[in-house]
Amino acid sequence: MHQEDIVIVTLKVNGVERPLAVEPRRLLCDALREDLGLTGTNLGCEQGVCGSCTVLVDGESVRSCLMFAVQAGGCEITTVEGLASGETLHPLQAAFWEKQALQCGFCTPGFLMAGVELLRRNPEPDEAGVRAALAGNTCRCTGYEHIVDAVLAAADGAARERTFAEEPEVDVAAEVVAREGR
Amino acid sequence: MTIEVERAPREAPRRRYVGSRQKKLKGDLFVRGKARYVADIELPGMLHAAVLRSPHAHAHVKSVDVSRALEISDVVAAVSGEDARELTGPVPHFIDPAVFGGKTAEVRCLAVEKVVYAGQPVAAVVAASRNDAEAALDAIAVEYEPLEVGLEPAAGTQGGTLLYEGWEDNTIIHIPFVEGDVEAAFAEAEHTLEDEVRIQRYTTAPIETRGYVADWDTSAESLTFYGACQNPHPLRWVLSHALGLPEGKIRIVAPHVGGGFGLKMHGHPEEALVCMLSRMLERPVRWIEDRRETFLIGGREQTHTFKVAFDDEGRITGLRNNIVANVGALGAPPGWGMAFLTALSFPTGYRIPNQDVQVSIVATNKGPWNASRGYGKEATNLVMERIVDLVAQKLRMAPAEVRRRNFINKDEFPYKTNAGLNIDSGDYHGALDKALAMMGYDDLRAEQERLRAEGRYLGIGLAFELTPEGGDIPGTLVAGFDTTTVKMDPQGKVTVLTGVTTPGGGNETGIAQIVADEVGVSLEDVTVIQGDTGLCPYGFGNYSGRSMLVGGGSAALAARDIREKLAKVAAAMLETEPENLEFGEGVISRRDNPDASLPTETVAYSVLTLAFATAAMVEPTLESTRVYKPDNITHIPDEKGRIQPYPSYSSAVHLAVVEVDAETGVVDLKRFGVVHDCGTIINPTFVEGQMQGAVAMGVGAALSEELIYDDEGNLLTDRFKTYLMPRAGDLPSFEMEHQVTPSPFTLLGAKGAGEAGVGGSQAAVANAVNDALAPLGVTLRQMPLSPPNVLRAIREAAEKGGVS
Repeated sequence: MHQEDIVIVTLKVNGVERPLAVEPRRLLCDALREDLGLTGTNLGCEQGVCGSCTVLVDGESVRSCLMFAVQAGGCEITTVEGLASGETLHPLQAAFWEKQALQCGFCTPGFLMAGVELLRRNPEPDEAGVRAALAGNTCRCTGYEHIVDAVLAAADGAARERTFAEEPEVDVAAEVVAREGR
Repeated sequence: MTIEVERAPREAPRRRYVGSRQKKLKGDLFVRGKARYVADIELPGMLHAAVLRSPHAHAHVKSVDVSRALEISDVVAAVSGEDARELTGPVPHFIDPAVFGGKTAEVRCLAVEKVVYAGQPVAAVVAASRNDAEAALDAIAVEYEPLEVGLEPAAGTQGGTLLYEGWEDNTIIHIPFVEGDVEAAFAEAEHTLEDEVRIQRYTTAPIETRGYVADWDTSAESLTFYGACQNPHPLRWVLSHALGLPEGKIRIVAPHVGGGFGLKMHGHPEEALVCMLSRMLERPVRWIEDRRETFLIGGREQTHTFKVAFDDEGRITGLRNNIVANVGALGAPPGWGMAFLTALSFPTGYRIPNQDVQVSIVATNKGPWNASRGYGKEATNLVMERIVDLVAQKLRMAPAEVRRRNFINKDEFPYKTNAGLNIDSGDYHGALDKALAMMGYDDLRAEQERLRAEGRYLGIGLAFELTPEGGDIPGTLVAGFDTTTVKMDPQGKVTVLTGVTTPGGGNETGIAQIVADEVGVSLEDVTVIQGDTGLCPYGFGNYSGRSMLVGGGSAALAARDIREKLAKVAAAMLETEPENLEFGEGVISRRDNPDASLPTETVAYSVLTLAFATAAMVEPTLESTRVYKPDNITHIPDEKGRIQPYPSYSSAVHLAVVEVDAETGVVDLKRFGVVHDCGTIINPTFVEGQMQGAVAMGVGAALSEELIYDDEGNLLTDRFKTYLMPRAGDLPSFEMEHQVTPSPFTLLGAKGAGEAGVGGSQAAVANAVNDALAPLGVTLRQMPLSPPNVLRAIREAAEKGGVS
């Protein structure tokens, strides 16, 4: 690393301000993985095609291998490590486990981030909508079947949550987890 | 989804977990991003390696000058092939062709004197970061003297440009599988046909590339190797040979592996290279393959030229097939052997009494093969299913009917094939009927008629698939058995150490299900450790659909030993006989009096603490290591010199529905269904997941995936934008049913799952596309059925005047 090239940049990652000293060429994915130790974001092609390195930048899905860390200065970044609330899995994480939407798990973080973005934009997608929205991510193990099932199941769970929103004591996320016997 | 009730296996415990849909053990790690893959491993002082690769497909290496690279700050080392030759020996072949009477060639981690494919490693740099290492490759000067490049097997497989010194031609091996009186079958045939299927070069492309971290311990003079690998113990043998280091000084650890499909079987030059660099520098060295490098490893490229003899009733009486496999340069991974098994597996599940199947396995200046899911058997299925459909087409007979008339009957098992394979069990007619019913076959044909009247090209394709699984190749470390240690601690918790590994399919969960049932504990109380030669008993890892078969089988045997000891001690404590005990989830109780019970923990604790009293009748410690060797494998040649390398044979019937746009050549896969029979199912969810993934891979193989080279031997499709794998939007939801015909030759009745699906789905799609375009007189011979290949076939048919 050449000292004269170093840039100081602050990323807000999973809700925490993280100042970094990086070279301008430092990719966002490398900054997350190597400088911040957030190795949940995986690199499958480093060409912006497989979608494994997908993270959310200000709520939008981004391929972190196609963005420089310095471009993300001041942005809110969510990685797979930021989805769960402590012990409680995000409903989409719970659904991925429940539906066996992962095998080797390498592409899983990217699919989760793409799925979270989809469900925010369209809380009640149909199967074709899920397949279209996930077409930016490649999985080689599952044939996508269980991934699509998991996204649809999480959408169903969220719809139930909205239906029962007036009953404040119902914690649907905890219910999902309880149902799965965790 | 229907699951047929299977026969009760011999002396099995009451099953709580086996056969049920359990979630993946430690699945939370994966969804939380906590799984640790090799690229996540950071060791103190770790350096990074990059590999310089030949730009020429065939050349003499006149000189390699690394001096300018060494001048760059942050570069720690730069080595040429000559340097590496001083520091390592050759990489031994996983399956040496010489063992089978073929030719062999020495493989080194960095090329010496000559390169035989574009992309072959010629030098390496180690630097403080991966960026610095890759940048410094440009400073290495290599002088090449290019040689004539041969990318296709030469005519007659003779001559052409020779790749290896001392070879008289580039054919690695030629193997015949001849049975019956083929001459007579053709002379007496009521009908014959001849045709060809050309299978493209394609690859497995797991989403995680390969990667290795080598950590040399200077004081212990030992090596720890972390690698995305499928076979830790056999890899240790390879590295021991290459590095001249005793196996006891090498520990191989496979962390979580991001998909394998054969690609992560060993013999890759970078394995030994990274170890050599770490030992040389006395520091940890990491190398992570980039995606372009992953695509250099190919597989599956074959041409089948066949003749078929058959009668008016659609019964196939004779088959001649001349197979030429282009395996690229001879690498040390087990790639070339796939073509051997392609030929061995004919004629799959059909009764064809006379055959002459010959395979020529030829080296060219393309990159080497490695194992690819299906291991050559997928090609057999594709070609056999095309043959059956061509027979049906010629006789204007229903494709399903021709299959029925040629299938082995369910009462004929075990059935010995022409090549000597002893198929264990199955019900192919039953599976076919199920598949037709599941998909509403008659309605599909009616729909096809209706759409044809509108000028639309709907196609329906059937394919049967037979997958020999759990193989053992004699004289190699491809073993058909495996080893498991099961131990119970004084708190009644169980640890399983197994020789099989997982690239993601979920065998750890299946093995835990088996063990939990056998020793009577809850699934959460079972921990499975795999992929570490420092901890696990000697085993062979992951290939050939073997993990449940022999990993599960050996785990069951070891767990039964634990159960037996627990039963003896518990019987004494409960004042009864061991036979009178029932094992529940962490509780052992008397059958005749369920109220008389003990926690398993109490019994386990007693084995260690009352060894001279209550538990005196058993040898203390609850630990057992067992090997499971399935029945049916035999390497002693029969009277015809044939061996039988597989214990079990899973089967499936696939059905694809496509619509082809004859203007653009685009194929739209509208529906896909499969009936799968892998014998006893340990966890249906995982079996389905494996089949779905394999079907997607087969659809990609059928329609879009291809490794294309230019005339100089450079790979053109070296990224996901040019190597086109199916995405979620390209595929329909898969329809699936199980059929269960347990194997009589395996402990649990399991046949192995995971390898099957690629060839069957590829064949069903190929048959569907041919069916769709039948009104245009099209026969597709070149795979994949990509728009250019489809349009070319349509044009050629039009030039010939349409329907013949």
